[in-house]
Amino acid sequence: MTQPSIGVGNSVGARPQKNQAKRPGLLARLRGKRPGILPGFGLSLGFTLTYLSLIVLIPLSAVFLKTASLSATQFWAIVSSPRVVASYKLTYSVSLAGAAIDAVFGFLIAWVLARYSFPGKRIADALVDLPFALPTAVAGIALTSLYAPNGWLGQYLEPHGIHVVFTPLGIVVALSFIGLPFVVRSVQPVIEDLGRDVEEAAASLGANSWQTFTRIIFPAVFPALLTGFTLAFARALGEYGSVVFISGNMPMRTEITPLLIVSKLQQFDVPGATAIASVMLVSSFVLLLVINGLQAGLRGKGEDA
Amino acid sequence: MSIEVRNITKRFGAFTAVDDVSLQVGGGELLALLGPSGSGKTTLLRMIAGLEFPDSGSILLNNEDATKHDAARRRVGFVFQHYALFRHMTIFENIAFGLRVRPRQHRLSKSDIRDKVMQLLALVQLEKHEKHFPNQLSGGQRQRIALARALAVEPTLLLLDEPFGALDAKVRKELRRWLRRLHDEIHIASVFVTHDQEEALEVADRVAVLNHGKLEQIGTPQEVYDNPANAFVYNFLGNVNLFHGRVDRGRVRISTMDSESQESTPVVDGSTLGYARPYEINISRESGGAATVHARLLHIYGVGPKVKLELQDIETEAMIEAEIERTQFVELELKQGDEVFVSPSNLRRFVEDYSI
Repeated sequence: MTQPSIGVGNSVGARPQKNQAKRPGLLARLRGKRPGILPGFGLSLGFTLTYLSLIVLIPLSAVFLKTASLSATQFWAIVSSPRVVASYKLTYSVSLAGAAIDAVFGFLIAWVLARYSFPGKRIADALVDLPFALPTAVAGIALTSLYAPNGWLGQYLEPHGIHVVFTPLGIVVALSFIGLPFVVRSVQPVIEDLGRDVEEAAASLGANSWQTFTRIIFPAVFPALLTGFTLAFARALGEYGSVVFISGNMPMRTEITPLLIVSKLQQFDVPGATAIASVMLVSSFVLLLVINGLQAGLRGKGEDA
Repeated sequence: MSIEVRNITKRFGAFTAVDDVSLQVGGGELLALLGPSGSGKTTLLRMIAGLEFPDSGSILLNNEDATKHDAARRRVGFVFQHYALFRHMTIFENIAFGLRVRPRQHRLSKSDIRDKVMQLLALVQLEKHEKHFPNQLSGGQRQRIALARALAVEPTLLLLDEPFGALDAKVRKELRRWLRRLHDEIHIASVFVTHDQEEALEVADRVAVLNHGKLEQIGTPQEVYDNPANAFVYNFLGNVNLFHGRVDRGRVRISTMDSESQESTPVVDGSTLGYARPYEINISRESGGAATVHARLLHIYGVGPKVKLELQDIETEAMIEAEIERTQFVELELKQGDEVFVSPSNLRRFVEDYSI
């Protein structure tokens, strides 16, 4: 793959000659100063872009194309209707809550799995991945029957006024179930990698265990925790299967955006569905971009360099 | 400041890592814990630091029992083999860490911390790297930062666990001489662990030789080198040649050599071992009487001012290593395969049985 195959390369070439003579080609610059040991930068970049286009970008652009059949006023009317706005609020808040719960408990689980050995550790380790494998509908039904007023757990919660099923709390429960493995699996290897000697060094310098945790361990694990949190959050935004059973799908109260999209589709209102989807898409993308940027900043501080 | 270790024992399961070791380190002294891997030297150091706790025995810091105190309480500086720097912090923050975690009432002001850290950076000659992160530095530089970080809290005692173990030979040599000079400057009681006898003998004021968790000998480098307490110490401190022999009515016969027993202790008849360093081996073309071994020259390693020779005892087939001056080597006109006569100028024997 040569320079002209990348669009920007041509525009660089069109600039005055002296500029070009000094600077290496775009491809060479992208590649960095060192040629690297493994060849194939051009090929692998080309493949990556093509593949991402086929798998991610084309289907997504179809969403926008369909939406484009609506006029601006129609679009605005759909995406800003009270019922839809309520669903955005609900979806983002429960996803955030679910991911936050996963971040706390996922960290704890990862810590225990990475640091201690106990009987049944391998089983516990395997259990973590189960939410990945389980069909989400099964999870939804199981959680619903557990937390129902006459369910195993629900019968004890109900007398205390804690209603789980058919409330936003129920959705949070389902989403934290779905997202847990993301946090555990992102954080666990980092904790395993973290040398004991670093903790011992902190202790010998007079730090107590709280200081060692907050100043040494947590900052080292934080980028990975943020990755796990982001993955769990992104997954929760799009989660449908487990939520429909436990939420009760009451408009304005427990109706999540993905459900609204599906119900629009079932009424053959494809443009309406894609309009809402495009709002979700853009807002989620911006959010993920911000988190990724934050993380790149953290990582640049010391991990690489 | 002094450290006293009294009858300390540490077991890991069935394995005894440190076995009834007692030693003292005086103020301003640099002590080396020397031993092969698995000899318990690092475990001993970690127990002094409070990172490991003994099963029995006690540790006294400044005549005060500190056996049960944890690392944070002992005010002991510890330098790790693999530096253990905090990689998400700058060099400055790494060194400042110990000052920042102090309880509020003992904490220095921001500007005092800054002065102190810059002072330490100057001490380890890395002022320019204040804003860098640990992985931007070389191994030798990282270890100096680790040392500065340990010194920041003004420890009463400095412990170093194979501080140069992860560095290459040249940096190692530079850094250990630098450490010696630094130690003379700041004069803080220090203990360092090493498996490199050259390092221990060169840098330390005193050397403690450990083997299988036991303290074999402790003394100045000169003492342990010239008067090793036993065969292990002798063998561990340098290359060695072994001569199998027999004691027969007060006379020692080693290989084909025959000599009067020089030992003051009564010699029991039986088999015996004699030891000699490679530079204590004389080589000649002619047989020098009874105390000579007939040997064949197998290899010549001729780089440097001394020539190393690998010989084989023709009778017993035991290998003998010799080191002679280049001038002597030229005089003797030695070639590979030559048959020569070898006699140790100083043959040492140890009473107890020891096998390599």
